[in-house]
Amino acid sequence: MEHKFDIVIVGAGGGGLFAALEAVRTNPRVSVAVISKVYPTRSHTSAAQGGVNAALGNKDRDDTVDLHVFDTVKGSDYLADQDAVEYLCGQAPSVVRELENLGAPFSRFADGTIAQRPFGGTVKDRCCYCADKTGHTLLHTLFEQCLRRGVTFFNEYFLLSLEHADGDCQGVVTLNMATSAIEAFVAPVVILATGGHAKMYWNRSSNAAGNTGDGQAAALRAGIPLKDMEFIQFHPTGLRKSGLLVTEGARGEGGYLLNRHGERFMVRYAPQKMELGPRDLVARSMETEIIEGNGFESDAGSYIELDLRHLGAEAIKKKLPQIRELSMHFEGVDPIAEPIPVRPTAHYSMGGIDAHMAKTAVRGVFAVGECACVSVHGANRLGGNSLLDILVFGKRAGQEAAEEAPRRKALGIPPGAVAGMADEIRSYANPERYERYGILREEMGKAMGDNVGIYRVEGRLRKGVEEILALRERFRRIRLFDTGTVYNTNLIQILELKNMLDLASCVALTALARQESRGSHFREDFPRRDDQAWHLHSLCTMERDGDIRLGHKPVTMGKYSLETRSY
Amino acid sequence: MERREVSFRIYRYNPQVDRTPFYDNFRIAVEKGITILRALNHIKEHLEPRLTFRAFCQAGICGSCAVRINGVSKLACTTQVWDELGGDGEHTILIEPLNNLEVVRDLVVDINPIMDKLKENYSWVKPAIPQEKMGRKEHIVSDGEFEAINAASDCILCGSCYSECSMMEVNRSYISPPVLVKAFRMNNDSRDTLACERLERVSSDHGLWDCAHCHKCMEHCTKNIPIMDGIHRLREEAFERGMTDSEGARHAQAFFDDIRDVGRLREVTLPLRTKGMIGSLGMVPLAVKMGLKGRTPPLWVRPIPDIDRVSEIYSRLEASREDAAEASNPSHGRTPLSPPYPVGGK
Repeated sequence: MEHKFDIVIVGAGGGGLFAALEAVRTNPRVSVAVISKVYPTRSHTSAAQGGVNAALGNKDRDDTVDLHVFDTVKGSDYLADQDAVEYLCGQAPSVVRELENLGAPFSRFADGTIAQRPFGGTVKDRCCYCADKTGHTLLHTLFEQCLRRGVTFFNEYFLLSLEHADGDCQGVVTLNMATSAIEAFVAPVVILATGGHAKMYWNRSSNAAGNTGDGQAAALRAGIPLKDMEFIQFHPTGLRKSGLLVTEGARGEGGYLLNRHGERFMVRYAPQKMELGPRDLVARSMETEIIEGNGFESDAGSYIELDLRHLGAEAIKKKLPQIRELSMHFEGVDPIAEPIPVRPTAHYSMGGIDAHMAKTAVRGVFAVGECACVSVHGANRLGGNSLLDILVFGKRAGQEAAEEAPRRKALGIPPGAVAGMADEIRSYANPERYERYGILREEMGKAMGDNVGIYRVEGRLRKGVEEILALRERFRRIRLFDTGTVYNTNLIQILELKNMLDLASCVALTALARQESRGSHFREDFPRRDDQAWHLHSLCTMERDGDIRLGHKPVTMGKYSLETRSY
Repeated sequence: MERREVSFRIYRYNPQVDRTPFYDNFRIAVEKGITILRALNHIKEHLEPRLTFRAFCQAGICGSCAVRINGVSKLACTTQVWDELGGDGEHTILIEPLNNLEVVRDLVVDINPIMDKLKENYSWVKPAIPQEKMGRKEHIVSDGEFEAINAASDCILCGSCYSECSMMEVNRSYISPPVLVKAFRMNNDSRDTLACERLERVSSDHGLWDCAHCHKCMEHCTKNIPIMDGIHRLREEAFERGMTDSEGARHAQAFFDDIRDVGRLREVTLPLRTKGMIGSLGMVPLAVKMGLKGRTPPLWVRPIPDIDRVSEIYSRLEASREDAAEASNPSHGRTPLSPPYPVGGK
């Protein structure tokens, strides 16, 4: 089966939905399809809790776009491209107001303006929020507006490949999950908005089960480079047992981090910003405390306490209701009465598809949001900047796609592309195969967590690379046990694992190569930032035989030049 | 860590190979603190790779993993195995797909009817601001206006209320609770301009007035949204906007009038007042059957002895309504969706 559209958007989180909305608003005559492996409102944007940054000046009247740019560039450890950051922060006030205009229910100050709270790594309080369910409300608002505009959705379609002819976009090949039919979408313009890949850390990740980097893997296989893959953000406050997230808003509202001596240890690491230091610094500080024996011990591992009790029952109920619910469900702890046991958890992928202002190396292919590396987050993303990223670049890609689509010729997808995918899927069921999905995936999570975690060193990184490459080899013998064609989730698991393993090899290889410490990438053997040798973006490309080749690309500088980063 | 052997009795159905659905039993050792979803994952990875269910965020915010656990619709990811064990020592947990939706395979149901109904019922804000002026200014919204829609905007479209709804069980065309929650949320948003059209749409056939007040939607909402309050509020809004020309509205009005006037229902004329002369003709066979069984309502209904006290209740309700309109105080626990108005006519 073949579909034809002017624009195909892969992914229905905030980035994909805003792109769709903007495309139909810009040019109502273009046909737009949104393809998603989950129903739109289930996308991982819904899990973003804390908020979205914009220099509205509702709280701190003297806040400016420029200060937002500075915080973001400094937060990125000077690896962000400053042209993209300026665009991001410059557009922030208008996209946040636009979402408000479209019905997003933001929390309010007494004067009725959008409320703002402090967030990590910023000099002003500029994080706009809706209690601790900001992403959920933005996602629903965008979905509702897409329904209103009659956007066409293909729900539960899985991306198999991105097709292009010598650099001109042809479309995508997908798997209809309900029927297991392989269906091609011919389109001169494709926007990839497939979300992040931090689930490769599996149990040590706050991510949804499906954050497997499907768009990044498809781009990599299509010859588009991936950028800055070594930079994985560990969020300081994951719940001890599940890795599920406790929003930075909990510290934004005044929560304390305590070690087992009852000490607010951040005083030794970030005396000015304390608990509201940037995420990389806070996560490392917590890990150091645990390594040095200052953490709490339990059957479920060592942990640090996040204490909210002094905020009072009313503030917790009103501003952090979801956190209270999660703590009670998953740790059996009510934060009104007890501190929450937390430890850092893999949370966000700064790296992704190499894109400049959302445009990739293939003409007609855009990439936005966490799957892309624009790069506005550099080596470390600030809390409240990821929702902003998807809104700003989702909107921009949608607008440009709508302008570009009528000018571009629709090139068909060669039948070989569909047949090739069908052969590959059939081969998974070959009875001579014996490797099991569950085992390979467990080993991948462990290999990444043990060797490519918060603290990195050459020996462990080499081991990590070897283990991941060995797992990629074993994947060739993976067995699909479910051979049915109706809603085959076993098949989807295998396809997702393939994507994660390809991307994990990029993460491990670039982490081994980068011999310096910058942002979230901390090398015990190279503990300093080395601007002379490493003020560069890393690039990964895939060779024909599947090997990963590394390269580099300069960082686009702007108003702010390199400085030491302290908080 | 405490461990127990637990049996999971799981609904299975693959339309490709199974003529009828059946139940599969899986016995596994489970640690205390494990969720139903983790148990399902364990079974899929170690015992039966073909077991089919949806799951995504694992944190109770995406709504993918709603299933029926021991007969009740819940999120598998936030439900603890321990909380589902009976006290009898024989630990079996029954897992089935959501009700009122077609089963695609095993625990996966087709949720497109929910999506279609959302679309049919204008489940979006139509902003007052024209497109070209978007993003320039924010609306000024009071905390009260925000609170009015706060709880309703928690809905994650998990489908639990859809599955529990008594009306859905007899009529799949019924608008359904999640769509009514959205309608309530939009109609009470001070920035929306579509309230009238939306209310007209949701109160048409199989709509707002078909709710049977069983409260199961609200009882089983995974996000504790007071859904019934929203439905009541929409009905009141229909009266406030003078949308009284529907069977449902006339039916409610007839109840309200009868109780006020005589303290009980005047059943004989109720169909006439609800459905009108022509519509009531369809009721004749039923009336005849009832008559043959000796179930005839009295033709003449006398006021009940204490009708004065009923009148007093009505006047008190009227007064409390006026008070409530002036000040709405969110109480503790569940955030009320609206001031506690009584349901009824003008």
